[in-house]
Amino acid sequence: MQTKIILDEEEMPKRWYNIQGDLPSPLDPPLNPQTKNPATPSDLAAIFPMELIRQEMSADRYIDIPGEVQDVLRLWRPTPLYRATRLERALKTPAKIYYKWEGVSPAGSHKPNTAVPQAYYNMKEGVERIATETGAGQWGSALAFATMLYDIQCSIYMVRSSYTQKPYRKSMMNVWGAECIPSPSTKTNAGRAMLEKDPDTPGSLGVAISEAVEDAATHSNTHYSLGSVLNHVCLHQTIIGLECRAQLASVESYPDIVIGCVGGGSNFAGVSFPFAGDKLIGKHPEVEIIGVEPASCPTLTKGLYAYDYGDEAGLTPIMKMYTLGHDFIPPSIHAGGLRYHGDSPIVSRLVHDGVMRAVSYHQSEVFDAAQTFARSEGFIVAPETSHAVKAAIDEALKCRKSGEEKTILFNASGHGDFDMSAYDAYYAGNLSDYEYPDSLIREALSRLPKVP
Amino acid sequence: MTVTIGFLVNPIAGMGGAVGLKGTDGLLAEAIKRGARPEAGNRALVALRKLKGAPLRFLSCSGPMGEDALNVAGITGFEVVYQTPHPTTSEDTRRACAVFEVHGVDLILFCGGDGTARDVYDTVLDRIPILGIPAGVKMYSAVFATTPESAAAIILNLSQSVRHMRDAEIVDVDEEAYRDGDLRTRLHGYAQSLYLPGLVQGTKQVLEDQDEDRAKEGIGRFLAEVILGTPDILYLIGPGSTTGAIAREFGIPKTILGFDAVKQGRLVASDLNEEEIIRLLEREKKSRLIVSIIGAQGSVLGRGTRQVSPRVIRMIGIENIIVVATPHKLSETPVLFVDTGDEALDKAFGPHISVISGYQIAQRKRIGVLTTKE
Repeated sequence: MQTKIILDEEEMPKRWYNIQGDLPSPLDPPLNPQTKNPATPSDLAAIFPMELIRQEMSADRYIDIPGEVQDVLRLWRPTPLYRATRLERALKTPAKIYYKWEGVSPAGSHKPNTAVPQAYYNMKEGVERIATETGAGQWGSALAFATMLYDIQCSIYMVRSSYTQKPYRKSMMNVWGAECIPSPSTKTNAGRAMLEKDPDTPGSLGVAISEAVEDAATHSNTHYSLGSVLNHVCLHQTIIGLECRAQLASVESYPDIVIGCVGGGSNFAGVSFPFAGDKLIGKHPEVEIIGVEPASCPTLTKGLYAYDYGDEAGLTPIMKMYTLGHDFIPPSIHAGGLRYHGDSPIVSRLVHDGVMRAVSYHQSEVFDAAQTFARSEGFIVAPETSHAVKAAIDEALKCRKSGEEKTILFNASGHGDFDMSAYDAYYAGNLSDYEYPDSLIREALSRLPKVP
Repeated sequence: MTVTIGFLVNPIAGMGGAVGLKGTDGLLAEAIKRGARPEAGNRALVALRKLKGAPLRFLSCSGPMGEDALNVAGITGFEVVYQTPHPTTSEDTRRACAVFEVHGVDLILFCGGDGTARDVYDTVLDRIPILGIPAGVKMYSAVFATTPESAAAIILNLSQSVRHMRDAEIVDVDEEAYRDGDLRTRLHGYAQSLYLPGLVQGTKQVLEDQDEDRAKEGIGRFLAEVILGTPDILYLIGPGSTTGAIAREFGIPKTILGFDAVKQGRLVASDLNEEEIIRLLEREKKSRLIVSIIGAQGSVLGRGTRQVSPRVIRMIGIENIIVVATPHKLSETPVLFVDTGDEALDKAFGPHISVISGYQIAQRKRIGVLTTKE
């Protein structure tokens, strides 16, 4: 049996798949945070290059990947698709489990798939500097790598709890020439306000986004870049699912279940959108698509589907999405990349419409799954990725009960080489199983923005 | 800055346990008859050896109540401020603590068990921080360090002028029932104690674990919002300073060891007994109970909580019980115990319980089976 399915370099997709082209009706538009009217391209032009704004709003089903971007992506793409036979044996399941291994990129995760094109389009517009935020450091290191390629300066606001927990992510950013600042910082109004409110705050992605957006908006040579949530980010990540579909087709297979972990939603979008598109157009209506989130930050499973800000300070456009409220500060779980109050508007819409569904897990059961995976397949995955592993294992165990031979595909979004302190905490029995007291929170006063 | 420590050993602590008596109170003669030997001094020695040379000034008691252990540990320059009689009783612990207080000590370090903790607390209440070196048969009070070594680590941290204070429950344990394999604890009071934050993750400190006051403030703020958001619900708020943070949000008084009723952020009644609670519940459409975790073993609704009887809990409904605890407290109690005194009711809580541990944050904790049998 073939263990790895590998595409040739020339088989790497040359177009991204834009699922907006297959939605039965357009997405609810993002709103300008000041006027509360639908945001226009000019509202976004201060912080994004025009080509990314065009992609953000495009309804074209496919968008070409520039040749120069393809050249860079070929450093690690196409990535391998593995058949997890050892995991299947360990679970005694009749299911066929496949995982897409995105840990082979220079930054060790799926994040460079969008960091590279984002840096490229900024370079084309002559942008000298990019500001961004990072949760666990995956995105920050990916953008540090990408901006280095195009000689753009890069300032990264890293959520303070991750900055402390994962010092080597900061070192990676420094190797690629970027500046890494713990957030909240004293460099921005948003950061200073947060520190004044709570000097000991662990920080959050929402606050770090506010800082990076403010930095970009107040420096004329600086643009902003976001590693998840936005439509163009999800678009760039579809290269993952497009490769998976081709790889599975090469062994005459198609998944019954597609799984990815969800923070802002980009890796989940990446692996699943090509299959969700097949479902939307009726080609594969039966495919089941599952997003996996932490019980401590259960945006899709317990949040409200409503308009909310993308950041803590309310500087970003207001988006229609599942949200726990933009001022929600999730606890410092080790899967720092999944600590986001909101979610991709497209993923949210597809969950709301029933095209996909979401599940949530507690921290310690997720590490149980990661250990099972490491002791069967060998790869030690990131805590974020472990969420997808857990759901894949659970689905495979259901197959053991039912005897079904389902094909399960999940995205192994990144390696856990810089997360050993999290594994140490797991083995020391020190992981807290945080959860979101949703019924009580619903009873407390809601803080969503009032929109017309 | 030199820290002054009042140090005492309860020389008979733990002797009953060594000979299978599950406690020494009132049974010293029997313990000695069974061959028990004083061990507390040796436990204290382990901690003291680690404190040798630190910028600490010790005040202590003569002979077996402190002086002997300090001498063996090689600690010099200490002052004996209490003359130990022979034999010693719990009264000596109290008297020595009173003398320590007069001398203005920064901390009382004692070596003993739950009985000793209660005697120290009864004398100084929360006026002086207290820390226990575990040496007794029972250590269900939360003032004990986990080991003599960790007691020393906490004190060394203190001498570097870092103080992390927390409330620590002193519990009464029914000795008679305990010997029969039945653990009945009752909250006796809240002492001030010390802790070391961030130890759970080694050098990688998890930020939200670091500050008790910050965590309590978050819990208080969150539940105050919930109470205001549910104006039709009556809230019975149980003992403790974590639950007290809710009352602080509303600026209303809180009975530290009792149950108060709050509705719409206003105080309805204070320090209620079971009968008063039942009368109140009969008038209300929906009620909720907010309780904190008691004692070092992590007990929810200890059966010593006479006001909230199984009948009261059934009237309120398990689904309407909100448990609160700070992350630090939860890190010390990996498993919680539900102990209402009604086994069927305890079982109805299921295998897990969600504990509010911060602003809009909860932690899922496993519920264990409570037993004193080894």
